[in-house]
Amino acid sequence: MAIRKDANTLTAAERAEFVAAIKALKAEGIYDQFVLRHANAVMDAIHRAPAFLPWHRRFIFDLEVELQRVSGNPNLGIPYWNWATGGANASMWDDDLLGGDGDAGGVVRTGPFRAGEWTVINSSGLPAGPLMRSFGQSGMPTLPTQGEVNQVLAVTPYDVAPWNTGSNPSFRNQLEGWIGPNLHNRGHVWVGGSMLPMTSPNDPVFFMNHCMVDKVWHDWQVRFPNQGYLPETGGAFGQNLNDPMDSTPSGRIGPRPIDVLNSVTLGIVYDDATGQPQPQIPVIVIGTNPTAADIGAPGEADLFQFDVSTFGSYTMFTSGPSDTFMTLLGPNDQTAQVASNDDGGENLNSQITRNLSAGTYFLRIRLFSPNTTGVYSVGVRAEGNAPSPTIPELTVDGAGLNSSISAANESDLYLFRITNRDTYTIQTSGTTDTFLTLHGPNSQIPEIARNDDGGVSVNALIRRQIDPGEYYARVRHFSQLGTGPYTIRVSRG
Amino acid sequence: MANHKEVLEGCTIEIRDDDHLTINGKEIHYEHNRSDGTWSSKYLPYTKYPSLLVMARAIVRDTVEFSHVKE
Repeated sequence: MAIRKDANTLTAAERAEFVAAIKALKAEGIYDQFVLRHANAVMDAIHRAPAFLPWHRRFIFDLEVELQRVSGNPNLGIPYWNWATGGANASMWDDDLLGGDGDAGGVVRTGPFRAGEWTVINSSGLPAGPLMRSFGQSGMPTLPTQGEVNQVLAVTPYDVAPWNTGSNPSFRNQLEGWIGPNLHNRGHVWVGGSMLPMTSPNDPVFFMNHCMVDKVWHDWQVRFPNQGYLPETGGAFGQNLNDPMDSTPSGRIGPRPIDVLNSVTLGIVYDDATGQPQPQIPVIVIGTNPTAADIGAPGEADLFQFDVSTFGSYTMFTSGPSDTFMTLLGPNDQTAQVASNDDGGENLNSQITRNLSAGTYFLRIRLFSPNTTGVYSVGVRAEGNAPSPTIPELTVDGAGLNSSISAANESDLYLFRITNRDTYTIQTSGTTDTFLTLHGPNSQIPEIARNDDGGVSVNALIRRQIDPGEYYARVRHFSQLGTGPYTIRVSRG
Repeated sequence: MANHKEVLEGCTIEIRDDDHLTINGKEIHYEHNRSDGTWSSKYLPYTKYPSLLVMARAIVRDTVEFSHVKE
């Protein structure tokens, strides 16, 4: 868990820990890799566009993980630059944290990142002189006030076509700074010097500036839980909800906007968090009357959940006069997209029919047009008249079953029966990077083990002592977009 | 069409035909937003400038690719 605090409230020990961790990463060359990741990204792919916020959320998250590693403190968080109280005389600019303004020529000569102690690099990774700052001298004489932050926090939707610096109304565009009071850009330009070009992560205050940006986004998400990331589709590649973002490596979390939408699941805690509970997600009970709902503000998206207890065919649908768009997510993961649909139901309603294994699923409903509002109802029914799909059965110590993940987000379910308490091994083989979960006994729901690469090469393997009963193995591709063949087998021992 | 050439902080800025910008011979790509009359460049992602020349001077002054500050 990363605990992110106002930089001006850090204790002397916390300041020393943060500075030491930054300098340790610099000595390892890791810090400069972050500078290059930003400097060599496509500028318009990570700025001036919807992915601006998720790209930088993932970017500072990755640095935070490295800071935690070198400091040995799993709770170390990047401090945030509270602009309203972070002017030139604030304590964050003292010599034990960031150091202060540059001299008459712009060269920083105080603090731990002063000339002689810290060298910036250019976009080729070559040393390029000392850190430079010139507070308020580059066209932005003041920092954002709390009133201006509050003004931006009231803007919806998240973003709007044409998805660039002209987007309006757009929370993203106001927070980035191209319209409205200008928050993020102003932080960069107010510091000036090394904070002006694409190599701006050369100045550690870059990460504090973006931590504040990320906090404002987080606060906005808590305030407007039904205002989702936009665009889901239809934007430039790299900007849509499920697109991989530019210059974002695969890691502990995925490279798409949808992978970083929830700060809580990323383990991020802000020091001013009030402990407000997460909004409850309305539950749909399969087979009951559809739930009435509405999109009350343009760009809003509603989230519902439902529990599938048994593998089978299910239909998720909307009804009513609105042109809805439905996205099915799960199982047990709000970021794993299974399918989406626009007009598969009656009139302009959306509808998805799909074989689902046991677990909790999520339906995200929005209107096809981000500029309209409307009412609808949403429901889920089991396709009882259809023949129940048969779950393939594995025989202990029998031959392996050959199968494949043939579509993105697909998962395959297998049944096997254990008659004697013993240690058993469930494993995949082949060239596909499989991910395996084990459920049971006598239920598809409780997950008792999971594995990614425990087998040969990128295959999954679970070895576990289990009691008699029916067990279920679920296989998916490690990548939510991946496909490929594999073989699965269960053996004793 | 106007041409312009100047040396700023040791760097040669050259603009040909009002729209072809080079700094020290290196071609600089930029965007010109005609609706708001601004210029911007990937070198300086947080600012838009009121003219191509003002932007070119900022690139020379503020990017580590072109500025050469000694410690």
